[in-house]
Amino acid sequence: MKSLSCTIHRLAVIAIGLVSLIATNSHGQAISITGGNISLSITTGTAGGQLVNVINTAVTLNYQKQSVLAKISVSTSCPGQRYDLSVLATNVTNGVAAPQVTLVNGSPAIDLITGIPSTGSKNASSTLQYTASATFSQGNSTELGDDIHTITYTILAQ
Amino acid sequence: MGWLNIVVLSRTLNRTSMVTRSIALGKNKHFLIALSILSLGILPNLGFGQTYGTATNTVTVHVQLITALQISAGIVNLNISGSNAIAGQNQMMTTDQTSTLLWGTNSSLKKITVNTSLASPLFTLQLVALNPTVGTASSQVTLSTTANDLLLNVGRSSGSCGLMYTAIALASQGTGTDSHTITFTVQTQ
Repeated sequence: MKSLSCTIHRLAVIAIGLVSLIATNSHGQAISITGGNISLSITTGTAGGQLVNVINTAVTLNYQKQSVLAKISVSTSCPGQRYDLSVLATNVTNGVAAPQVTLVNGSPAIDLITGIPSTGSKNASSTLQYTASATFSQGNSTELGDDIHTITYTILAQ
Repeated sequence: MGWLNIVVLSRTLNRTSMVTRSIALGKNKHFLIALSILSLGILPNLGFGQTYGTATNTVTVHVQLITALQISAGIVNLNISGSNAIAGQNQMMTTDQTSTLLWGTNSSLKKITVNTSLASPLFTLQLVALNPTVGTASSQVTLSTTANDLLLNVGRSSGSCGLMYTAIALASQGTGTDSHTITFTVQTQ
């Protein structure tokens, strides 16, 4: 009888562990992008000044709360980067937007949204505001090619 | 982080198993295995730098060929009068330095040329670039309908220079007025 009780107890503990493990890995899509891949084209400049920045707000970042306080960081891979690109989280529905992040090839991930609480509504979103800028001295895409950024957004425990 | 948990727990399990084996002949091994699984589920939920997911977005930045030119002053008047005349000399002249040329180009190997619309002027009009912030000023040019170099080596830059116009008339040419429309052009050098 005691042996049966021990077995049941052990099975229960194993079951709880498995459930917990499954729950950890079944958050669904913790973070995703809508709006697709985009292109920002700089087309005008000021004589004696600089080129005019281009802003795009077509991309939305969707994310979910986690079991702990979380944040979202951003990094980019853009070999041979020539021009400047930054991103700012706007209209953040959960968490706090960090200051605008300048995306530089190979730099460590930088916080974009912090303080995403583990409580409250499950789903949240933010409009990503990309700003492309360049100087006359940085040249043009016809002679030097485009910058193609693969930008990675990561949600992780804060 | 999951792997780290597994390593740590395996070590803990081995050490603990050795202890419990000597005490309880390994009866607690299954419990420890269960505890390990439980920990794998719980520890990530406690944070420890756990990554929950990633998303990627491809963004292309394209910069077109861009050239911008601007003149600070719209109309320049050069008036040769009696005050410009020197007794005994046929040539009279006057100058103007009120204009500034501003440019920006993101193309390499560029120069700025200048020409006038007036094919047969009565008098001579000359121009030279003063103190360019970028590039090299050519020597003073006499304006004609053919483009002449004003500034060299202004590729991939934004800058400015002063413009000095010189009007020259000979007493023997009499009086009159020339109206020039002057065109500045950024060209491949």
